[in-house]
Amino acid sequence: MEERRALDLILSSIILAVVAILPMFVTSPYWRGVLIVALYYSLAAMGWNLLGGYTGQFSVAPAAFCLIGMYTSALLVYYWNWAPHLGILMAIVSTAAIGLFLGWICLRLRGPYLALTTIAFSEIIRGVIRFSYDITRGDLGLSVPKLYGGGGRHLAYYYTFLVVVVLVQILLYLLIKSKIGLFLQSIRDDDVAARGRGVNVVWWKTFAFALSSLICGLAGGLYVHFIGLASPEMGLIMQSGLIIGMTVIGGMGTLAGPLVGGLILQPLSEYVREFGVQHMVIFAFLIIIVVRFWRAGLYGSLKNGLERVLYHG
Amino acid sequence: MDIFITGIIMGTFYALLALGLSLIFGILKVVNFAHGEFFMIGAYAYALIALRLEVSPFFVLLPVIVIGMLLGVVIERLLMRPLYQKYTEWGAMRDEYAIIVTFGLSLFLMNLANQIFGPYAISGPGLRPLRERVILGDIVTMSSHRIIAFGVGALILIIAYLLVRYSPWGKVIQAVSQNRFGASIAGINSVRVSSIVFGISGVLAGLSGALLCPIFSAEPFVGALPAVKSFVIVVLGGMGSVPGSIVGAYLLGVLEQFGAVYISYTYRDTFGFLILIIVLLLRPQGIFGEKAREV
Repeated sequence: MEERRALDLILSSIILAVVAILPMFVTSPYWRGVLIVALYYSLAAMGWNLLGGYTGQFSVAPAAFCLIGMYTSALLVYYWNWAPHLGILMAIVSTAAIGLFLGWICLRLRGPYLALTTIAFSEIIRGVIRFSYDITRGDLGLSVPKLYGGGGRHLAYYYTFLVVVVLVQILLYLLIKSKIGLFLQSIRDDDVAARGRGVNVVWWKTFAFALSSLICGLAGGLYVHFIGLASPEMGLIMQSGLIIGMTVIGGMGTLAGPLVGGLILQPLSEYVREFGVQHMVIFAFLIIIVVRFWRAGLYGSLKNGLERVLYHG
Repeated sequence: MDIFITGIIMGTFYALLALGLSLIFGILKVVNFAHGEFFMIGAYAYALIALRLEVSPFFVLLPVIVIGMLLGVVIERLLMRPLYQKYTEWGAMRDEYAIIVTFGLSLFLMNLANQIFGPYAISGPGLRPLRERVILGDIVTMSSHRIIAFGVGALILIIAYLLVRYSPWGKVIQAVSQNRFGASIAGINSVRVSSIVFGISGVLAGLSGALLCPIFSAEPFVGALPAVKSFVIVVLGGMGSVPGSIVGAYLLGVLEQFGAVYISYTYRDTFGFLILIIVLLLRPQGIFGEKAREV
């Protein structure tokens, strides 16, 4: 167990190091922009992974929480001239609060209630934002100031996102390693047994959901001050599918799986777009194939392969 | 009165959708997140076939039934089998697999439709010319397509309900949904039953899509909202309860119409979500459901 966790940590650090020097090789502003968006998705996917991969609870609306994060910050900055940093902070607070509330309502029950509630929630929240035209300007979106002013400062954004990704990754690592992490994983593996051993199942499920929502809210808050526009499109079910797909294809329940998934799939989707293919057709197909036949995903397979080489052969 | 009748009409289509979802939940204890795409494919099938062939739109409902059936059976065969073939080993992984795989399927079908047919809305011809109006008494004026579609929908709903409730096949379905293991000891082929249920579910959702097609038009993402509503309905009626899903559907249809008229037309789709939250807070097992186990 200790050895395996050490391997997970080393491998994740190597991947983060590669990500850190990536801009040396990617110099075009366009592709740097793509990488920043990829980091946004990775961050959201890391949040979803905590819930889906480690706790075994399924929200199908990570993008809805990203959207709430975006609009929390965007509205505060737009109407009350808050500094973007404070806006992002409030994005964290609001998504955590909504996560706690929804979790409190539907995680008392076993079964697919969380998935059902979140899918309804995601359609509704997007609708409310679209139709509250007076406040949110509907589909036109809200223009908000960027974190570092005008254009052309991709490196600053890239490393801001990267620092946040590293911090969240460290936080998640410590969490998963701690007693709380064991609680969460015990709930995933057998909730009845976990309860029998005295784990407060409902509370820890709710905790995981709120923390996961918070990470998505943080991702959304950062993103809106990079793009400079909050638009309801970012809350489409499709966006949630992208985030979930990145986690599943990268490797659910692994430390760096979501990051690997995000960094590979987002540039890939930009690439296939040039051929006039809907990238979601391919991704959705991959989600089905991976979850059906190849549980470990990309990062999981890599880790398992290394493990076999290092410790057994 | 007008509002009430519109609510009942919408409720019928919701019931067709929710019934299939509820049957699947009863049999497999999983939610099919691709249910809205059955609806979407039904709508496309109806619109495309009706626009190509010069026949009465009523005959077009037949190929829609066949397509819905095939779709359900094929999906069950390809993706649902792992849920019960390794029945004992899976345990906690069942929900995980079912949610992700059906969600992935939903995205796949939506985007495939988008890729093939493009994002444009295709509207099919009505069962009666769309401009024709019917005046019932002196209170209600309504397009005659709506009335006839309602009639057809209600007829199918009644047939489906009677089949599930009283026919030998229906008894088999009930047996498996009560106790899969027990049913298979009694000699019931539960795999075949799952296949049939998926077929029925595909037919009901497809027909619902076809009948509503002249009103809503077929487009790749048309299934999303009806699907969300049918999710609300199965929770409202009680997960897996057949009468619950029908009562829940009419309840939601009527409440939504009243909400749209008296509270806010713009936010009419949010009422479903509010109902969902209230039900989960006050009566999580739904109207007819057994008490869901709390952990």
